[in-house]
Amino acid sequence: MNHLASRKKKHLKENLEAFAYLAPAGIILLVFWFLPVVLSVYVSLTNWKGADTLDMVRFVGLRNYLWAFRDEYFIKSLLNTFNYVIVSVPTTLVVALIIAMLLNAKIKCAHIFRTVYFLPFVTTWVAISIVWKYFYHREFGLANHLLMNYLHLGGLNWLSEPRGIVEMLLAPLGIDIGSPLLAGPSLAMVSIILTTVWRDIGFCMIIFLAGLQNIDRSYYEAAEIDGASWLQKFRHITFPLLSPVTFFLLIISMINAFKVFVPILIMTPTGGPDNTTSTMVFYLYEKGFRGLWLLGYAAAIAYILFVIIMLLTIIQNVILGRRVHYEA
Amino acid sequence: MNEASTSSGYLMILLVCIYAAIIATVCYKVIVQKKRQILTSAIVYHVLVIGGLFMILPFYWMAITAFKSLQEAIAFPPSWIPTEWRWQNFLDAWNAPPGDLTFGRYFFVSIVTAVASTAGTLATAALAAYAFAKMRFIGKGLFFYLVLAMMMVPGQVLLIPNYIILQTLNWINTYQALIVPWLASVFCIFLMRQFFMTIPDDLWDAAQIDGSGRFRYLIMVILPLSKPVLITSGIFTFLASWNSLLWPLIVTNSPHMRTLMVGLQNFTEEAGSKYHLLMAASTFAIIPVIILFFFLQRFFIQGIARTGLKD
Repeated sequence: MNHLASRKKKHLKENLEAFAYLAPAGIILLVFWFLPVVLSVYVSLTNWKGADTLDMVRFVGLRNYLWAFRDEYFIKSLLNTFNYVIVSVPTTLVVALIIAMLLNAKIKCAHIFRTVYFLPFVTTWVAISIVWKYFYHREFGLANHLLMNYLHLGGLNWLSEPRGIVEMLLAPLGIDIGSPLLAGPSLAMVSIILTTVWRDIGFCMIIFLAGLQNIDRSYYEAAEIDGASWLQKFRHITFPLLSPVTFFLLIISMINAFKVFVPILIMTPTGGPDNTTSTMVFYLYEKGFRGLWLLGYAAAIAYILFVIIMLLTIIQNVILGRRVHYEA
Repeated sequence: MNEASTSSGYLMILLVCIYAAIIATVCYKVIVQKKRQILTSAIVYHVLVIGGLFMILPFYWMAITAFKSLQEAIAFPPSWIPTEWRWQNFLDAWNAPPGDLTFGRYFFVSIVTAVASTAGTLATAALAAYAFAKMRFIGKGLFFYLVLAMMMVPGQVLLIPNYIILQTLNWINTYQALIVPWLASVFCIFLMRQFFMTIPDDLWDAAQIDGSGRFRYLIMVILPLSKPVLITSGIFTFLASWNSLLWPLIVTNSPHMRTLMVGLQNFTEEAGSKYHLLMAASTFAIIPVIILFFFLQRFFIQGIARTGLKD
């Protein structure tokens, strides 16, 4: 009996101690993470503005959400965000995979190349966005200098070009695209995408490289004995064994891409030509913290973003997750 | 022709000669010695070098424009090497903020914020991670699940309610607003917990025999063994704080409380097309992070590689 009581006492002590360890992080998470997630739902259902306090606001039900889907600027920001994600994520992953595979071949100075390709990722977003904005300048930017004086092509308007990239590519062939849905991201958006691809390659490359180095060399040796070509080795060994890593990168790259904000704000502070670079987070910032300070409406936009990210994570986990090849 | 472009001309000729020599060697090995694989690696190097130049180009462009005069910075076609090296630009950019403020103030606010939130996050995360990894308590599974769920919530959802909470607390324009909400990180808790789990429990048994309590054990045994994960978490937290723009932009509006990023963002609006000063400011904003990176490169790369692979 005595033994049992002492064990119980010890158990209670361990519980108390554990909660004491959890408390510092727990309190911060409770106040600044859990509470806001709940409060956010409430705010999105009110007409909260700027410096309003709880007693000044009125409950408006789902009006903010209904308004969002009738707001052509919001719809446009949704389309821009999707364009951004669809173009930037695959480009980054493909380029990063190619570089990782080149670095994984037995070459000298691999660590120097690795550092060079990784460097953009550690630099600060705000500063490099300023650099790229200058790079793209219509009148005296380096991008047009390279195009006009080295490649002898015409200059482009880069960040102030509202036409879609697909539209621009097809225009010389005489094909006219009517629908803005098919026009693709505007050249202004593509310019921003190039910047983010440039920055994110390093991050994806490092993870791909770690994944490639985890693949047992004996698979390749066996394939070489069987006379497999380079493409066959990639198709049947590298790609399937790398799929967990690719899948992980795909998810986090997409989630991050949906949240793009800093390069948009710095490179196109007003949302770009014809609002073609205004993404969801940028629009949320515009509505919530500039001009009218419509916090209720901005909270609704944030929740829509949240739901999209949630759905993506779930869909990818259910559909792709099963097909992903995991090593035993 | 001025002096600078003549010397760059000689440099170009030298580089072309070296390049021609390399190509000649490759051709000799492929054609005469019939070493086919040299051709493949020559292609690999070409792709990597050209790609690498593209990665470096924006940094080079930023650095040289920082030395140019305004006229030269907005001239077209632009020059690859400045005709005069104006160190004065860095001073002008440093003193550009309004009133008696300088970029020194912005640096100060950023450093205080980043150091405090990194130290705080490491402390709270280590304690919580220890509880999750090594202790038994009621609701452990549920709490851990909640922490994991939090990793999926985009920060933008928390932005507005947190702004309202800070407004209620009267914390707008204070250090608390910049630091306190970021004193806990679910990502760091998760990362550390994974690492702590790999430390064998035999050590705890031994420590108990020596009469050590849990806290002492955490400080004296677990943390010294966990240096890599602590450094990785520290780097990530520090960089996230240093680079964050949206949060400080919202919770501060007085120029005295601007972080470096907010200061730079404001400077882009005020400077207009004074691109030489903008590039000078960007240069001194980027340099501390690059120095940090070169010192801790190993931990950066290992840390990132580790997040992508399951244990």
